[in-house]
Amino acid sequence: MISIQEKVADCLVRAGSTFREDQKDAYRKAIALENSEKSCWVMRQILDNALVAEERRSPLCDDTGIPHLFLEVGKNRSVTGELLEQIKEGVALGLRQLPGRPMAIKGDDYARIDQSGGLNEDSGALAPSPILIKPVDEDVLRLTVLMLGGGPAIRGITQRVFHKHSVNVVIDEIVDRAKEGVSKLGCSPCVLAVGIGRSQFEATSLMMEAMVYGDFSKQTDFEMRITEKVNEANIGPLGLGGKHSVLATFAKIGPQRASGVRIVALRPCCCFEPRRASVEL
Amino acid sequence: MIELTTPLSEEAISQLTVGDVVTLTGYIYTGRDAVLPKVIKLAEEGRLNEYGIDLQGAVIFHTAVSPAGVGPTSSNKVEIESSFEPLSKHGVKMHLGKGAISKETVKKLAENNAVFAVIPPVTALLESQTIECEVVAFPELGMEAMNRLKVVKYQAIIGAAKGRSIYD
Repeated sequence: MISIQEKVADCLVRAGSTFREDQKDAYRKAIALENSEKSCWVMRQILDNALVAEERRSPLCDDTGIPHLFLEVGKNRSVTGELLEQIKEGVALGLRQLPGRPMAIKGDDYARIDQSGGLNEDSGALAPSPILIKPVDEDVLRLTVLMLGGGPAIRGITQRVFHKHSVNVVIDEIVDRAKEGVSKLGCSPCVLAVGIGRSQFEATSLMMEAMVYGDFSKQTDFEMRITEKVNEANIGPLGLGGKHSVLATFAKIGPQRASGVRIVALRPCCCFEPRRASVEL
Repeated sequence: MIELTTPLSEEAISQLTVGDVVTLTGYIYTGRDAVLPKVIKLAEEGRLNEYGIDLQGAVIFHTAVSPAGVGPTSSNKVEIESSFEPLSKHGVKMHLGKGAISKETVKKLAENNAVFAVIPPVTALLESQTIECEVVAFPELGMEAMNRLKVVKYQAIIGAAKGRSIYD
């Protein structure tokens, strides 16, 4: 019987080394539709890279990312402290197997901020983010591991939008922020992850959920409108120009506050993201 | 596709134009923010041979080297972009990374018959095309130490040459 730790470790390795089929198809379609030879070359390289990574179970990118965990819990399932500990151990095991880039910062609060304490050479020493738990109707206990890289974290932004009772106002603001983020990211084509909620925490949680459930082949009108508008900027893969600055938008719109403000979390995910995989525990 | 082998000759570089896709084969060096200023200092002090480093016709790949592999970091970080001119003067012919660089840097490259090439962050692919890797200087910097890689057909696109930039 496979242990929880081994299941989680395998899930993390898949997240860091594998493109899902909808992701591969998105690249194939973009290559077929792109007029710019430079952009096609970049996207072919990214797709070839994904095929090699999957075959070798090796990292898609040398920034292997920080593990972020999303746990779906059915009504008849329980989460114990022991399970959470096993998940944590599985993450460390997976980071060593991938292998993850050793980037756990050593030291006290100050040393971790200014990085004066150096790095832990053990890939497995990298702590995962806090687990996000979501109750679901399915009879399931399902963990999704997301590996979130540094570039998109630098360019991501969580901020208020005054909606003026217009969806267009919110979309336009997201598009403006996305254009700036995508152009500075470098590692495009991107996926835009968007969460809209009532507080910074809620918006960011919704953005995480968007990355967990997002599907390149199932785009809502809201998502397509954002993608199309950002692509008008002609930033292109690696910033070299072309129609495909963004391959898709994954958005999750939660409950909203009775006021003039919406909190929008936006992450311009890099060309490999969302790096994610799921496993039933 | 233009096939290049290191060390790169003056003639091979002078024939490159923005947008050319090239393959790179041979030995190349790695370096990013932490190590490049130290390498410049070594070059200025005439001490590169103490480390067995030969920058004539060399390629500098802006990457860390970790168990996860290699992949370009942004070349427009201050410590990296400011290395283009002095390293080109000491013989480096190709700076390999990603991201837009300034017009001034593009001009300095042209003055030294050197180029900037953009390489996608395709770590798995690059890993399959890297056949040797050794630390040559500043091992105390860990994954930011200077390494010498032996590579086979890394693909890159010329991002700046002859005073022009692909980002213009």
